[in-house]
Amino acid sequence: MAKSMKLAGLKSVDNAHDESVWAATWVPATDTRPALLLTGSLDETVKLWRPDELELVRTNTGHCLGVVSVAAHPSGVIAASASLDSLVRVFDVDTNATIATLEAPPSEVWQMQFDPKGTTLAVAGGGSASIKLWDTATWRLISTLSIPRPEGPKPSDKSSSKKFVLSVAWSPDGRRLACGSMDGTISVFDVARAKFLHHLEGHYMPVRSLVFSPEPDSRKLYSASDDGHVHIYDAEGKALIGAMSGHTSWVLSVDVSPDGEAIATGSSDKTVRLWDFKMRAAIQTMSNHTDQVWAVAFRPGGGGRLASVSDDKSISLYHCS
Amino acid sequence: MACVYIPVQNSEEEVRVALDQLPRDASDILDILKAEQAPLDLWLIIAREYFKQGKIEQFRQILEEGSSPEIDEYYADVRYERIAILNALGAYYSYLGKIETKQREKEEHFILATQYYNKASRIDMHEPSTWVGKGQLLLAKGEVEQAFAAFKIVLEGDRDNVPALLGQACVEFNRSRYSDSLELYKRALQVFPNCPGAVRLGIGLCRYKLGQFEKARLAFQRVLQLDSENVEALVALAIMDLQANEASGIQKGMDKMRRAFEIYPYCAMALNYLANHFFFTGQHFLVEQLTETALAVTNHGPTKSHSYYNLARSYHSKGDYEKAGFYYMASIKEINKPHEFVFPYYGLGQVKLKSGDFRSALSNFEKVLEVYPDNCETLKALGHIYVQLGQVEKAQEFMRKAIKIDPRDAQAFLDLGELLISSDTGAALDAFKTARSLMEKGGQAVPIEVLNNIGVLHFEREEFELALESLNKALGDGIWLILTGNKPKSYVIEASASILDYKDMQLFHRLEEDGLPVELPWNKVTVVFNLARLHEQLHNTGTANILYHLILFKYPDYVDAYLRLAAIAKARSNLQLSIELVNEALKVNDKCPNALSMLGDLELKNDDWVKAKETFRSASDATDGKDSYAILSLGNWNYFAAIRNEKRAPKLEATHLEKAKELYTRVLVQHTANLYAANGAGVVLAEKGHFDVSKDIFTQVQEAASGSVFVQMPDVWINLAHVFFAQGNFALAVKMYQNCLRKFYYNTDSQILLYLARTHYEAEQWQECKKTLLRAIHLAPSNYTLRFDAGVAMQKFSTSTLQKEKRTADEVRSTVAELENAVRIFSQLSAASNLHLHGFDEKKINTHVEYCKHLLVAAKVHREAAEREEQQNRQKQEAARQLALAEEARRKAEEQRKYLLERRKQEDEQKRLQQAEEHFKRVQEQWKSSTPASKRRERSEVDDEDGGHSEKRRKGGKRRKKDKNKSRYERDDEEPYMMDDREELGDEDANMNYEESTTQMNDQDDDNGENAQDLLAAAGLEDSDVEDEAAAAPSSAAGRRRRAWSESDDDEPLHRGTESSPVRENSAELQESDGEIREDNSKLNGGGGLDEED
Repeated sequence: MAKSMKLAGLKSVDNAHDESVWAATWVPATDTRPALLLTGSLDETVKLWRPDELELVRTNTGHCLGVVSVAAHPSGVIAASASLDSLVRVFDVDTNATIATLEAPPSEVWQMQFDPKGTTLAVAGGGSASIKLWDTATWRLISTLSIPRPEGPKPSDKSSSKKFVLSVAWSPDGRRLACGSMDGTISVFDVARAKFLHHLEGHYMPVRSLVFSPEPDSRKLYSASDDGHVHIYDAEGKALIGAMSGHTSWVLSVDVSPDGEAIATGSSDKTVRLWDFKMRAAIQTMSNHTDQVWAVAFRPGGGGRLASVSDDKSISLYHCS
Repeated sequence: MACVYIPVQNSEEEVRVALDQLPRDASDILDILKAEQAPLDLWLIIAREYFKQGKIEQFRQILEEGSSPEIDEYYADVRYERIAILNALGAYYSYLGKIETKQREKEEHFILATQYYNKASRIDMHEPSTWVGKGQLLLAKGEVEQAFAAFKIVLEGDRDNVPALLGQACVEFNRSRYSDSLELYKRALQVFPNCPGAVRLGIGLCRYKLGQFEKARLAFQRVLQLDSENVEALVALAIMDLQANEASGIQKGMDKMRRAFEIYPYCAMALNYLANHFFFTGQHFLVEQLTETALAVTNHGPTKSHSYYNLARSYHSKGDYEKAGFYYMASIKEINKPHEFVFPYYGLGQVKLKSGDFRSALSNFEKVLEVYPDNCETLKALGHIYVQLGQVEKAQEFMRKAIKIDPRDAQAFLDLGELLISSDTGAALDAFKTARSLMEKGGQAVPIEVLNNIGVLHFEREEFELALESLNKALGDGIWLILTGNKPKSYVIEASASILDYKDMQLFHRLEEDGLPVELPWNKVTVVFNLARLHEQLHNTGTANILYHLILFKYPDYVDAYLRLAAIAKARSNLQLSIELVNEALKVNDKCPNALSMLGDLELKNDDWVKAKETFRSASDATDGKDSYAILSLGNWNYFAAIRNEKRAPKLEATHLEKAKELYTRVLVQHTANLYAANGAGVVLAEKGHFDVSKDIFTQVQEAASGSVFVQMPDVWINLAHVFFAQGNFALAVKMYQNCLRKFYYNTDSQILLYLARTHYEAEQWQECKKTLLRAIHLAPSNYTLRFDAGVAMQKFSTSTLQKEKRTADEVRSTVAELENAVRIFSQLSAASNLHLHGFDEKKINTHVEYCKHLLVAAKVHREAAEREEQQNRQKQEAARQLALAEEARRKAEEQRKYLLERRKQEDEQKRLQQAEEHFKRVQEQWKSSTPASKRRERSEVDDEDGGHSEKRRKGGKRRKKDKNKSRYERDDEEPYMMDDREELGDEDANMNYEESTTQMNDQDDDNGENAQDLLAAAGLEDSDVEDEAAAAPSSAAGRRRRAWSESDDDEPLHRGTESSPVRENSAELQESDGEIREDNSKLNGGGGLDEED
C-alpha cells in the first residue's frame, strides 16, 4: 500500500463571500492561465480565484436567490452556474460573457456536471425526478433521463417527491450517469441509449453528492449522504462494496483525488475528512471551518490541491501529498 | 482413713468419727457435738469435711448451729474458734454471692456474708483472718478499693500474712496493676514456698498480662509440675500455645485443651476454646456439643457470652440465620457493655443485614464501631446499610472513612465507586481508578467489571478515548480484535458491505472456517455491548454493527443488541429494517417495553397512528403502567392528536390535551425529575396560553438537561423559543432558535430554520426572513412549502416597501427584483403543481402569481417614478451645484469689483492728488484721466451678463416646480392603484379563507402545507391590519397569534416525536448498562458478604 495521503492547509480566505458559500469547482487550466477555483454563494455571486494565494480574479453577478451549483467545462474555457431560481447561466470564464441561459421549468436545478468530453452538460432536475442533458454546442435540451416511477397502485405525492434528484455524476468514460435522490436511492443510466439501468440501494436519506473513481477503477462510485456515511458501490455490478462512517452529521460533498487514491468529504459537522478506500477509514480530519462544509474539490491535473467551501463564508485551500 | 475424735465429756473416752463416713443427717453429729460440748475446732473440721464432700446443707447446718447465740454464750471465751466458724460462713456466702447470677439472691448472699464477718469482728476486731475474709467479700462484690483497705489492715499488722498478700495481689490484678500484683504474689511465695499451685497461677497470669509470655509459661508449667491436673494452668498454657498462631503451636495448644477437658470436662473456658477450634475445622456438631456443655457448667457472664457466640457463629456459617441471630442475641445479653466482647454485635449485624432488617443491623454495627472506630469492615458494612436505607451521603461518608483508614483496600474503593456512580461520576471514576491501580500494584488481575465500569464512566463523561482504552482492556484478547480493526482488515471490509442484512452471519462462519474460533465469554457480553455503544457514539457505525452482530451470533436472545441495531437503522432512516429488527427483539420477548416503545415510535414515523397508539398501550401495560417512556409516548400521542384535530373539533382537542396533561403528570408523580414529562407539561400549558408558567418550566428543563452526554433535549430550546415568539419577544426567540440549530443540529434542521424565518417575518425583517428560507430550501430542496414561503416573504417585502411614504429608488428597484423573483417562484410552483410535486392548490398559487405580477406592474411604475425622481434629484443637485458655483462666481466678481473699486478709489485719490499736483503742474493733461472711466463701463456690462445668467437659472427652477407638480399628479393618479391593491388583498384574504376551509381536508396529511397556509394567512391578515379592510377582521390578531403558536407547535412535537426517541434510547441504554453495572455490583457485594462472614 502506498504511503497514505496527507493534507496541509495552504491558504484560507475569510469572508470570501458575503454569505454562505455553497458550491465550488475547479476550472481546468488553459494555455494562457492556470486552473482557477470557481465558487458560488447565497450572496448571489460567483467568484473566480487564482491559486495558491486565492487571489480574487472576478466576481460574477446576475443570479437571483442563492447560487447552488457551479460546473466547469473540461476545456476550462466555459463554466456554468445555477441558482435557486432554477436558472443556469453559461459563461465564458475569461470574459464573463454570457453564452447561454438555460431553464427547463418546472424542473429545478441542483448539481451540474459537464461530461468528460465536454459535449453535454448534465443537470440534476430536482422534483422532475430526472437528469436534463444540454448540448454544449447548441445549448439545446437534448434529453431527459427520468427515474422510473415505482410500481404501485397510485403514484402518491410523497413517493414522487422522494425521487427528487439532487446530485449527478458522469463516469470517466462518459457512458454512464448516476444521480442521487432525496430518498437515498442512486439511479444509474446508460447515456448512449438514454436508458435507466438500475438503482443502487443502501442510503435512506438524501444523497447530495456523487463521484466516480477515475480510470482504471471507473466502475466505483462514491456517494455522500445525510445519513453520515460514504458508500462505495460497484455502479455496474449494482453492489455495495463498502461503507465508511465517522462524520457526525450529514456528508454534503465527496470528491476523489485525480489518482483515485484518496477520497475527500465535507460535512455539516464542519470538518473536511480525507479517507483511504483500502483501509475503509478516515486518515485525517481538518477542522478549520466553523460551519457546514458544502463542497470539497480536488484540482484536476495534479499538483495536489484540495479546496473546501463553507457556510462560514470562507474558502480553504490544502496541499495534499 | 482420717478420723476425728470427739472427747466425751467428763471422761477419757472419745468418740471416733471417721470423716469419710459422716452421717447423712448432720443432726446426728450435731447432737454428739452439742452433748459432748466438743471443742469448736472440731465443729469446724467436720463442717469443712461435709463441704469437701459436697454436702453443703450439712456444712451449713453445723456452722449455723456452731455460730448460734447459745454457742456464743457457752463458748464465750473461745474466741478464735468462734471467729473461724463465722469467717467460714462468711466465706461460704461470699462464694455463693460471687457465683450467683441473679442479682437479688446475689445481694442476699453478700448481706449474709457481711453479717457473719461483722459478727466475727465484734468478737475480735483485730483478727486478721476476718479482715482477709472481708477483703475477699469486697472483692467478690467488686468493691476493689475497700477490699484493698481491708487487706492493708491485715498486712500492716503482719506483712507476711499470706492470705492477705494473695488478696491484695488479686486487688492489684483487678486494678490492672500487674507488676504490683506480681510483687505481692512473689512475696506470698517467699513467705510460704509450699503454697498451692494457685499462687503460681496468679504469677503466671500477671506475667501474661505484663507480656512476659515466657516467664508466664514457666509459671504455668510450674503449676502443672505441682499439680499436673490444674486445669486453669493447662488452659492458660493452651491459650498461649494457640495464640502463637503456628500450626505446631495450635496442635500443642489443642492437646493441652483436650487434656484439660479430659481432666475436668466442665471448664467452660476450655470448652469454649475447643468449640472455637472445631468451628474453624468445620466440625459444627462438636461445636454445638461443647458450647452447650460450657453453657451448662458456667454462670460466668463473659464465658457464657463467648459460648453463645461460638454457637451463633456455627449456625451463621451453616446459613441458619434465624438460630444464629438468636444465639448472637443471647451472647449479647450476657454482656453489660459492648467493650467487653464486641464480636456478637458484628455477627448479629451481619445476620440482620442478611435478613434485610437494616435498622437493627445498623445499630449493631454502630456498637462495633464504638469499640473499634477504625474497623474498615465495619465501616464498609455500615456504608452498605446506608445505601440500602437510601442515605447515600452517609454511606459515602463511611466508605470514605474506610478508605482513609486503609488506603490500600481496593475493595473499599470499588464499593465507594459503585456508591458514587449515580451521583458523581467523576468521583466514582476516581475511586474505580484507584482500585484499579491498587490491584495492578498488588499484582492482582483487575476484574472485567471494574474495567467495564471505568470505561462506561469515561464514556458518560465524553472521554471517549479513555473509555475505548478501558473497554478494550476489559475485553483483552479475543475475536473482537479482528472485528474492530486492530488486526487483519479483510474481515472488516467484508463486513462493512454486509451491514445491510442483519441476518447475515456469514462473516462469523467464514472466521470459523478460517480456524478463528468465534468465542464470546458470557462475562464479556456486556463489555462488548458497551464497546459497540461507544463505537456507535464515535460514529464508527460499521464497527458497532459488527459487534452487535457478534453478540447476536452467540447470544441470539440479546434484545438490546437488536434494539441498538434498530436504532442505527432508524437514525439512517431505514425504517423498514428498523421495524424488522424490533420485531426480532419482540420475538425474544413480546412484552419488552423498550422494544414496544420503539415500535410505536417507528409506526408513528410511518404515520400509522392507530397502530402506534396500540403499541404504546401495550408497552405501558407490559410494565403495569410503570414505564415512564410508554406513558410519555401515550401523552405525546394524545398531544399530537389534539393538534391534529385542532380545526376540526375543539372539543376533541380539549379532551386530548387534558389526557396528555394527565399522562405527563402521572409520569411526573412517579419521577419528579423526568425532563421529558416536564417538557410535555410545559407544552400543554403553553398550548393553553400560560406562557409564563411554561417558560419557567422550559427554562428549568433546559438547565437540567445541559451537562450530560446522554440527555440531548433540543425540543426544550425550541419550546422556549416558541414561548418567546408567542410573547412577541422576537429577538430572544431568534437567538434561541439559532443556538438550538447550532448546538444540536449542526445547522441542518430546515424545520427550525422555518421557525426562524417565521420569527423574522413577524419582526418584519424581510431580508433575514428570505435568507433564512433560502437556506432552508438549500437544506431541504424537495420541500416546496419553503419555496412558497419564500415567495410570500418577497411579496410581503414588496408590498410593505411600496406602502412606505418615503422610499429610495434603490428600494423600489430591489422591490421590483424581489417581485420578479416572487413571480418566478410562484410560476414555477404553479407549473410544478401539474406534476403533483406538492400539495398546493394551483388556483391559489396562480392568485399569488397574478397578484405579484400586478404588484410588479405597479412597482415598475413606481420604479420609473422613483428613477425619474432620482434623476430630477440628480438634476436638482446639479442645479444646486451650478447655483452654488454661480453664487461663488458672483461673490468673487463682487469682491473683484469691490477691490477694483477700492483700487480705483485709491487710484482716483492718487490720481486726484496727482491731478492736483499735476493740476498745478499740467492742467492741460486732464483728458488723460478719463480713460479708466470707460473701463469701468465695460465692467458693468459684464455684470449685466451675470444677471442674465441668473435669470436662466431661475427658469430652471421653474421647470423643476413644474416637474414637482407633475409628480404630484402622478401620485394622485396612483392613489386608486393603491386602493386597488388593497381591495385585491382583501379579496385574497377572502380567497385564502375560503381556500383554507376547502383545503383543510387535503392538508390533514401535510402539516407543512398547513403551516404555509397559516403563514400566508398571517401575511394576508397583516396586510389587512394596515387599513380598514374588514374582510379578515373576524380572525383577530390574537387569534392569529394563537394560531401561529399552535402552528409552530404543530410541527414541533412531530419533530420532538422523532428526536426525543433516540435520546430515550440512549438513556434506556444507559439504564441498561447501568443495570449491568449493578449486576456486577451485586456480584461484588455478594463476594464481599462472604468475606465478611469468614
